[in-house]
Amino acid sequence: MRRAVIAGGWRTPFVKAGTDFADADVLELASAATAETLARSETPSSSIDEIVYGNVSRPVAYHNLAREIVLALGLPTSIYASSVGMACASACVAITDAADHIAVGTANAVLAGGAESLSNVPITYSPKLARALVAASQARTLPRKASSFAHIRLGDLAPVAPGIRETSTGLTMGESAERMAGINAIGREAQDRWSLRSHQRAAAGWDDGRLAAEVVPVFRHGAVVRTDTHIRRDTTLERLASLRPVFDRAHGTITAGNASPLTDGAATVLLLSEERARAEGRTGLVAIRSYAYAAVDPADQLLIAPAYAIPIALSRAGLALGEIGLVEMHEAFAAQVLSTFQVLERNGVGAIDQERVNVMGGSIALGHPFGATGARVVTTLANEMRRRGTQFGMATVCAAGGNGAAIVLELLA
Amino acid sequence: MTVDIASIAPAGASYEPGDGVVGRIVIDRPNDSVNSIDPPLIAALFGAVAAARAARPRGLVLASAKPDTFSGGADLKLLSIWPSAAELTEASRAMQRLCDEIAALPCTSVAALNGSALAGGYELALACDWRVAADTPELRVGLPEVQLGLIPAAGGTQRLARLVGLPRALDLILGARRLSARRALRAGLVDELAQPAVLERAAYDRALKGAKREPAGGRSALERAATFVAPARALALRQARARLMKETRGHYPAPPRVLDALAIGLARGMPAGLDAEARAFGELATSDVARNLIALFFLTTRQRRASSEGLPRADAPRDVAVVGAGLMGSGIAQAAAVAGMTVRMRDVDDAALARGLGAVRALTTEASRKGAIERRESARVIARVSGTTDYSGFARAELVIEAVFEELGLKRRVLGELEAATRDDAVIASNTSALPIAEIATGARRPERVVGMHFFSPVHRMPLVEVVRTERAEPWAVARVVAAANALGTTVIVVRDGPGFYTTRILGLMLGEATHLLEQGARIEDVDRAMTAFGWPVGPLALIDEVGLAVARHAGDTVAAAAGIDAPRNAVALLAEAGLEGKRGGAGFYLYGGRRRVPNPRVYELLGAAPAATPPDVAERLTALFVNAAVRCLDEGVLRSAGDGDLGAVLGLGFPPFLGGPFRYADARGAALVERLRALAASAGARYEPAASLASGRRFFS
Repeated sequence: MRRAVIAGGWRTPFVKAGTDFADADVLELASAATAETLARSETPSSSIDEIVYGNVSRPVAYHNLAREIVLALGLPTSIYASSVGMACASACVAITDAADHIAVGTANAVLAGGAESLSNVPITYSPKLARALVAASQARTLPRKASSFAHIRLGDLAPVAPGIRETSTGLTMGESAERMAGINAIGREAQDRWSLRSHQRAAAGWDDGRLAAEVVPVFRHGAVVRTDTHIRRDTTLERLASLRPVFDRAHGTITAGNASPLTDGAATVLLLSEERARAEGRTGLVAIRSYAYAAVDPADQLLIAPAYAIPIALSRAGLALGEIGLVEMHEAFAAQVLSTFQVLERNGVGAIDQERVNVMGGSIALGHPFGATGARVVTTLANEMRRRGTQFGMATVCAAGGNGAAIVLELLA
Repeated sequence: MTVDIASIAPAGASYEPGDGVVGRIVIDRPNDSVNSIDPPLIAALFGAVAAARAARPRGLVLASAKPDTFSGGADLKLLSIWPSAAELTEASRAMQRLCDEIAALPCTSVAALNGSALAGGYELALACDWRVAADTPELRVGLPEVQLGLIPAAGGTQRLARLVGLPRALDLILGARRLSARRALRAGLVDELAQPAVLERAAYDRALKGAKREPAGGRSALERAATFVAPARALALRQARARLMKETRGHYPAPPRVLDALAIGLARGMPAGLDAEARAFGELATSDVARNLIALFFLTTRQRRASSEGLPRADAPRDVAVVGAGLMGSGIAQAAAVAGMTVRMRDVDDAALARGLGAVRALTTEASRKGAIERRESARVIARVSGTTDYSGFARAELVIEAVFEELGLKRRVLGELEAATRDDAVIASNTSALPIAEIATGARRPERVVGMHFFSPVHRMPLVEVVRTERAEPWAVARVVAAANALGTTVIVVRDGPGFYTTRILGLMLGEATHLLEQGARIEDVDRAMTAFGWPVGPLALIDEVGLAVARHAGDTVAAAAGIDAPRNAVALLAEAGLEGKRGGAGFYLYGGRRRVPNPRVYELLGAAPAATPPDVAERLTALFVNAAVRCLDEGVLRSAGDGDLGAVLGLGFPPFLGGPFRYADARGAALVERLRALAASAGARYEPAASLASGRRFFS
């Protein structure tokens, strides 16, 4: 049977929003990650069939970011491209779509990934003002143009930032995480410990070169950006404990220290058909063995869906949780990670050996460019499986709206 | 033989009545994609104009049936069909009459420029009332005849000045400018831009609704005054003439004749101007200068095919890599990206890489500002170049161009690294100006895929690439390098490997001889001044300062090692050892501290020479040595042809183009040159001994 393999993946440094990449728009970041993935995987651009790319906070100018990558890089214009969205799991969708296209035989080589520039979120007008502007642009006479604005009040002129609240619950992401911490009785200290671990392991991953190997330098304005900028090497439990809760100041547990930060960055993965990868003599191939998406009621535990996607993906792979040697789990919040462990156990899927989880840190320390994170976890997982010779690994990402993704990878002989 | 258009069988243009309201004259010369204007086409156009006059449409569109080209101008074969000045003047008058007839049509006429309209092609368009051009990046319009030693001779000088004013017309014609569609619109050379798909309709509408028009002579009052008010015009012409003499040193006869035709035409009226134009054309077209420039033009246009002669067919690579992000490396990377290639550029550290990528961006932005690259395309050009400090991305490259510092050990080491990092079927090209490729490839695992690729600096301005072929090089490898260099838009010559190849070898000999003359009492500034007066763009000693004494010394040493040539004592080495660096260091043959450079007295001291009299024939003598060396390269098989030798010397080394190149110069001087060389050999040394083919009286071009 045809199947897709990961031939390589690279990402830009993940950088605090509003800093080094502040004036780089999302297309520039996406192009940088994609061009380097093509170069470092030693792949001629003429051999690519398709690009699938994720992006959450979409600039108004790019209706289809994926296609813009093709055109911006001057790749062969015959490469068709589509943009996908599942909030923070967008790049997972890009990767599994790509894998599907390869499996059914409609493509042999697909670039998949995602990008986010939270420095450049699209700010829009209020719906009332926006409708008035459209009406005015369609009106033929000047008086009619003017009358389009007759009902606009001063308050309608205020710009509108992209939504950070769940539309169905009205809760922010942080409030939803507080809710999960409450339901699963996850205390502040456990969250801070997980966060500390994330920073320590990320620092170790950079120090021993494992992370450096998957991060490409971005040259801009005669300077270079080489490293992730969120990692706090000097942080301690005491320091984390001293931070004040952000979302529920009176009773809350979620702080800036145990949540993932606003980040700019992009990540791209090259997927090939196994047949082609082998014909090209590529080694260390990691196949997409199975995947699953699941969704939950956002009003319950917004970010718990991976706990439901994992058993489905495992059953599709014909594996038990104990056979998974490595797990890369997106850390939206430490509370969400620890809740997922609990629910998996409670539901009888099994207990995850935490030593196998996020061995080079997670989104709390590395950063979380929404659209890119799914491609980062898959890349890191595949690379570490190769290094350790781990046969099976799993990547999971939770997403706004109550969606969740789980992807099972297999190291091929 | 006289010029009798009426007796020529017409072909290549016809009148189409269309809907009866707006007619069309369509130019479609058989078997010629650029609609070159030849006698049958002129005859056909006369017929078409007569038909249009008889049909009395309300409007007329002049259009081309060729995809993406209007007309490239006169077919230069005209010059051999009508070889005498009198005939060529007659031919010019015929074209002028044709344009006059178009202009005199009672209906509104519109030229629909679907692609480039140059020289005679644009003159036809100028005869129409209006010009509508397709908004495409490739389109160019202009009157670049002076580049070939000719002048616009179908009324172009007269009509352009009356359309856009004298100052702008002078700038366009004397500068031989080819304007992009956008710039042509801004300059007034075209009146409207239209999407290519709607060009025909735009031209139709304008022919239907537009009026006949009287040219205004420019947009501003100042432009009109300089065109139509005698004292202002005289001033403009005087200034232009002074500038011209300074720039051309009188070597190019065409530009002054443009001024003459304009002065006469604007003072005494169009017919007098046309007469001056036609006479000048006949005289210029039969001059040696025009013959030489046209010969070079033909060589250049044929070279694309000629350069790959005897080689297997090869496609230009899509994926290339460049080692070294310095001036050369970044220039090569940028040129490759402009040509649509994906480029991986390597240097040792982030800082060097950031500088190199910055240089690619700067070159591209500058080209975009000048209109050479469309703005959106320039962003893609920049995006096609990526940088790395390791060799990642090199395994996909079909061609790797190594552009590291000119040092044999370093180049060998990099070659070894490249052999490990690239595919076995990748070609490795070494960019060097002098180091023999075979020596660089000594110890290579696969020397048969190592080829020399000598770029000139700065890459984006120098139109030549010298491809160096070793005895062991596989033909497919050479073919790929030639295809790549052609794709970059450069003119390619393929030469045999050896110290200094062709260009550096003959240049090095001439520079060495120039320093030798100093030792014999010549003055630095006299030598350089004599050479620039002769037509060289820069004097030899100033040139050594430009490239730097270290580089010149290195090239000189390499060239001196060439067997059988008794190069004089290496004076450059002497100066370099004394700490002189050249222009960058502030002191070489000249001192560069002040506002103007002055000769460096220390040079005479170091050479143990006393500056006295410079021989009056110094330029002729150095040029003769240069030409002799070039012929020797042909005799030895370093060069494949005399044409390659002329192209290499003119495009790479600045040999005066009006002389056509060293081989054409040798043909022109004939026995006199041989005599001169023999005399010099007797008095100055055996290095002047004429090369075998010169001595045998061989002619290089028939």
